[in-house]
Amino acid sequence: MNLDWSVVWNNLPRFWDGALMTIWLSIATMVLAIPGGLILAFMRLSRMRLVAKPATAFVEFFRATPLILQIYWVYYVLPAYFDVQLSQMATAILGLVCNISSFNSETFRAGIISIRLGQWNAGRAIGMTDAQVMGRIVLPQALMRVLPALASTWVSLFKDTSLVSIISVADLSYVSLKIRTESFRIFEVLTAMAAIYWLMGYPQAKLVDWLHRRYKVAE
Amino acid sequence: MTGPEPKQRRVGGASAPILAIERITKRYGTLTALEDVSLTVNRGEVVCLIGPSGSGKSTLLRCANALETLDGGRILFEGREVHASDPKSARAVRQRMGMVFQNFELFPHLTVLRNVAIGPATVLRLDRGAAERRARALLAKVGLSDKAAAHPAALSGGQQQRVAIARALAMEPALMLFDEPTSALDPETVGEVLSVMKALADEGMTMVVVTHEMDFARRVGDWVVVFDKGRVIEEGPPKQIFETTTVARTREFLSHLGWHGESTLDTAASSSSEAAQHPIDKEEVDR
Repeated sequence: MNLDWSVVWNNLPRFWDGALMTIWLSIATMVLAIPGGLILAFMRLSRMRLVAKPATAFVEFFRATPLILQIYWVYYVLPAYFDVQLSQMATAILGLVCNISSFNSETFRAGIISIRLGQWNAGRAIGMTDAQVMGRIVLPQALMRVLPALASTWVSLFKDTSLVSIISVADLSYVSLKIRTESFRIFEVLTAMAAIYWLMGYPQAKLVDWLHRRYKVAE
Repeated sequence: MTGPEPKQRRVGGASAPILAIERITKRYGTLTALEDVSLTVNRGEVVCLIGPSGSGKSTLLRCANALETLDGGRILFEGREVHASDPKSARAVRQRMGMVFQNFELFPHLTVLRNVAIGPATVLRLDRGAAERRARALLAKVGLSDKAAAHPAALSGGQQQRVAIARALAMEPALMLFDEPTSALDPETVGEVLSVMKALADEGMTMVVVTHEMDFARRVGDWVVVFDKGRVIEEGPPKQIFETTTVARTREFLSHLGWHGESTLDTAASSSSEAAQHPIDKEEVDR
């Protein structure tokens, strides 16, 4: 095999920009999908059906359909049929946020439900409102419990951002595949792409493992 | 009720009761947990509720603290009716009524100090400094000053329950409810919790205690109420319940617990080593 790694070294600034975009997309998505997930979780836990049902429908739709389809849908269907024109970046983030919010909401909901009723009663017994019990007693414990699950979602998200390359958002995947097309150095470019993803993803996966160990004991 | 009711001899009986439970009924589906139960608690009085498991004692406490809605009857606390279904009324009651649970239910994510301070800080809106000063004073009172910075998981069961008592006291309640406060404890830590409770009673705190500790009921209680199958089968001063009861079901329940009425009591009372056998007399609070 005749390898020429210069294509990688010469394009390092472009790979760098792509990697930054991947990181930026992941952070922007998570920053929005945490409150999004909390809101959906609270809606689903509501006793009012009119509040709970739409949230359930939203979550079940986005959890059960592929992310690539959601991104395509936002990108092609919204402008064509609803006269909503979003930038590629906004499209990418909207698709990712809807998807990750749905997963987060299930994580938060499970965490909130896992806090036993006795904690609610103890909070109420000292005269707290239900909102105070939720905010000061239940939610802090629930968040601590679901931190590992949340971190796992983060790592998945980090890799799933590669799907936005299909709508020409210049993330690491898009940049890599573009360099490949220009240079025809398939092996070198894809290897470099894998190496960069791995270098960024591996420490995150290790961090998740650590979080799992750290927060394994609930009480 | 059975037997003569020496109402005039009850502690605080001269003024209006702080808690009046009037013919309440509570059902869970087809199960009747409480049926037509009436009970009064006077200011400064220690009322002990005894009886077999599932006889409705704990349910009564939960109803009193507005944690359960009623299916009949009413509850008056400080002269006002308790409405569990109205959040405002329920909160007003709970702020004046401390509750201690069988399983402590401390907040595991907070330090011991914050556990005690969180009530005054969030509900009474004391500033952080004032809330924590109050919390420190109460931790000193239950003998746990040195544990202020620890998390509940680092404490023994007895220590956790003392923190839970301090947490309830932090709201400066007019009445304290104890729901089997020593049932989940290792035998060796029961005494330290009972000591704290006895000290509270000696200070004049009004208390309602659901307990299986018959020694405590007999020695600290001013009034004992016996439950069976969701009903009150007998009530009276400890002497009546533990020594002279004529109610067969009360006798049966007590003998199941190894309590053999007068003869045992007489023997115990005449024994000079009696005090040492009773955990509440041990100086364990500051251990």
